[in-house]
Amino acid sequence: MKRWLTIFCFGLAAGLLAQQPAPEESRSRFGAVDIYVDSGSTPLAAYQLEFAATNGVARIVGIEGGEPAAFREPPFYDPKAMQHERVILASFSTAAVADLPTGKTRVATVHYQTTDTQPPRFELKFQTVGDAQGTKISAQASFMERKMP
Amino acid sequence: MRPRPKRQPVGTRSTASLTSPKNDGTRWNASLPGSGALALWGILCFALPLCVAVMVLPSGCAKKQSGATSPLLNARAVGYGGPLLSGLRKDARSAFAALPADSDELWILARGGGDAVAPSDEAPGSGALMAKIEEKQVPMPLKHTDVRASVSGYIGAVEVTQQFLNPYSSKIEAVYVFPLPHNAAVNEFIMTIGERRIRGIIRERQEAEQIYREARRQGYVASLLTQERPNVFTQSVANIEPGKEIDVNIKYFHTLDYADGWYEFVFPMVVGPRFNPPGLTNGIGAVARGATGISGQGTEIHYLRPGERTGHDISLKVEVDAGVPIEEFECKTHQVTSEAMTPERLVVTLNPTDSLPNKDFVLRYRVAGQRIKSSLLTHRDERGGYFTLMLYPPEELGALKRQPLELVFVLDCSGSMSGRPIEQAKAAVARGLRLLRPGDSFQLVTFSITASRLGDAPLEATAENVQRGLSYLSSLQGEGGTMMIEGIKAALDFPHDPQRLRFVCFLTDGYIGNEAEILGEIHRRLGASRIFSFGIGSSVNRYLMDHMGKAGRGAVAYLGLKESAARIMEDFFERISHPALTDLQIDWGGLQVSEVFPRALPDLFVGRPVILTGRFAGNQDTGVRVHGRVGDQPMQVVIPTTPAEAATHQGLPSVWARMKITALADQSTRQPDPDLSRQVKQVALDYSLMSAFTAFVAVDSSRRTEGAQGTTVPVAVPVPDGVKYDTTVEEK
Repeated sequence: MKRWLTIFCFGLAAGLLAQQPAPEESRSRFGAVDIYVDSGSTPLAAYQLEFAATNGVARIVGIEGGEPAAFREPPFYDPKAMQHERVILASFSTAAVADLPTGKTRVATVHYQTTDTQPPRFELKFQTVGDAQGTKISAQASFMERKMP
Repeated sequence: MRPRPKRQPVGTRSTASLTSPKNDGTRWNASLPGSGALALWGILCFALPLCVAVMVLPSGCAKKQSGATSPLLNARAVGYGGPLLSGLRKDARSAFAALPADSDELWILARGGGDAVAPSDEAPGSGALMAKIEEKQVPMPLKHTDVRASVSGYIGAVEVTQQFLNPYSSKIEAVYVFPLPHNAAVNEFIMTIGERRIRGIIRERQEAEQIYREARRQGYVASLLTQERPNVFTQSVANIEPGKEIDVNIKYFHTLDYADGWYEFVFPMVVGPRFNPPGLTNGIGAVARGATGISGQGTEIHYLRPGERTGHDISLKVEVDAGVPIEEFECKTHQVTSEAMTPERLVVTLNPTDSLPNKDFVLRYRVAGQRIKSSLLTHRDERGGYFTLMLYPPEELGALKRQPLELVFVLDCSGSMSGRPIEQAKAAVARGLRLLRPGDSFQLVTFSITASRLGDAPLEATAENVQRGLSYLSSLQGEGGTMMIEGIKAALDFPHDPQRLRFVCFLTDGYIGNEAEILGEIHRRLGASRIFSFGIGSSVNRYLMDHMGKAGRGAVAYLGLKESAARIMEDFFERISHPALTDLQIDWGGLQVSEVFPRALPDLFVGRPVILTGRFAGNQDTGVRVHGRVGDQPMQVVIPTTPAEAATHQGLPSVWARMKITALADQSTRQPDPDLSRQVKQVALDYSLMSAFTAFVAVDSSRRTEGAQGTTVPVAVPVPDGVKYDTTVEEK
């Protein structure tokens, strides 16, 4: 009986050990970064931004559309830039001016995965923002890492 | 019954399978999550003793479950359960709770596959939902597929939305193996959760699979799209919570086929059950619903048994803008409603009463004018210029007469052809035999597990020999496996009479899993032959058929179950009754053209244009000159091209990149080169395209779902219309 119990314990231990994730998997963490454009009182109709994970520990795993209906469609990205974890985000809306957002607006969310112990660093470069007439307007872009539960 | 190929070992799959001692069709399939070699080592070294240990424990589990009926689950589970399996049983109970109280179904649930499972072994089938049900509706996590297509010129832009819904009371991963056109340039992938839409990212396949597995393990909603064949894809959606819906939206561009005055838009709805030769492990298995892993193949398609249905249906709408008046259209595969918006525009909608996704949707339309001019489409962006050119054969070819023919008809007589498909194939060949002229010769070759033929040498097409051929034909039936390689060898190694033009006609559904081997063999053995492939049935493997025609310097045609077999053969004879324009070379004039695909220009047959695509620079009005030979005589065709005035299409870069990937893949079947995979991958990543080496992944990192990784549920599909389940699907 003792012998069987020993075998059972060994087996159980091995089974539990086998369920442990590999070191890289155990470090794996997913997160999200919200990207905002503040066009002041001018309705926002189009934007192009460059977002990058700069310290090589994060890879982008999804790009979500923004909060207002006009930008709910997820923005397009440049596939060549994506290969370097840089993402050139661009989107436009043909909605009526009354339906375009003003003020600080979440235009996109970038989902990422990191497998490193050090936190990822991000960078956002403002490229261009336009109004409903296609005119370049002054605006500010910012990002904020979402606090995960 | 079709003989089954010998089962292959599953390799490093960390799955422990416990089969009921009774042969009652019930099976435990429990996967222990693990991590790589450690998991395998742990299972190998300790799982067996552990099983032994558990079996001797004084627990009532074994006795209680073996043959006992659980009132709670209203199910009769067979096997045993130890402490490690208790969670599994809990999931099973949860799942049962979703069933009607008076259900007489037997449900056995198994935990989804471990994270250490090798990608090729992983999906579909890392876990299983198994059900034994009599003639009734089967709950499945794929609720609906919606298809919206927009055709402009000869390029289609198609948007496919797959709506996944978890009908169970516990979390699941849905795995769906589905078809798309083999020339589809899949370049967009969006996952929708409620109102939130997340664009998927193109990654190297292995990397995307790692990301998906990790997201699945941690409880995030994630989706992964991989390509198993150019026309077979796997959609995996992880952590779908009970009652929740997740939509996956796929977009692609593709060129339409054109033959004998008709454009053809095709949307495939189901992958046919493939035969995999013994020894093959990277094929596509055809298994009964719930029979995960029995085929030994890297990819498995689960088929519904006769009488079973799921709620999965399909809606489809095609808008055609032909640019010129549409004279007529037809859809012989489905019931449709149509609306002609203008003479040039047509909207065709699938009738809701014909929404079972079990056959290809084929819409054909003919535009005005006896002769269509070769047409140039262009697109320019920051990467440069792209073009496609549909090159039509010169009219003069139709006036020239042919040489004597040597026709070799090769019939697939395997089990999947049994019934209506083989009757259609026989009718087509019979018509072909009657169309032969004095001076022609013929041969009949059949293949299933082995190949056989009518005679050792070509027979003169005398009335007596034709009658002999017809008698032989009438004796053929569909049964056995599909060893197409035997048919290839028998047909192409056959002695050839150099005084005659030799055409080899393959009539098959193409339901095989070793396409690369077949295409490689054609390249090696083709010689002076030309191959014309005839796809027979409702859901043909069009990738194989199309590439057999291309590799064989011939063409492809399709014969549906309701179409005229005589007509398809008459069209074929019309095509080969006139010489082709061969040895094509193109002088692009003032256009600076590069990277044109296909690299080797195919011959031009009457009624069959070819599509070329390439990069270009410059904007000169120019005339493209096509030089070729008709028999011994040189021929030149001038095509006026004005890039500045050509119609444009934004899908051209994707179409070009897809054709480049196809060219590289074709090259690898002829001459394996490790660098080709790197080249394919780079093109696919640069143009955000699906390929064998890239995949789309999307993760919603904003919220973790509760509980452990869900049960994997392979989406079961019906066998294609006209295909017999009994002769094609593995049950055990």
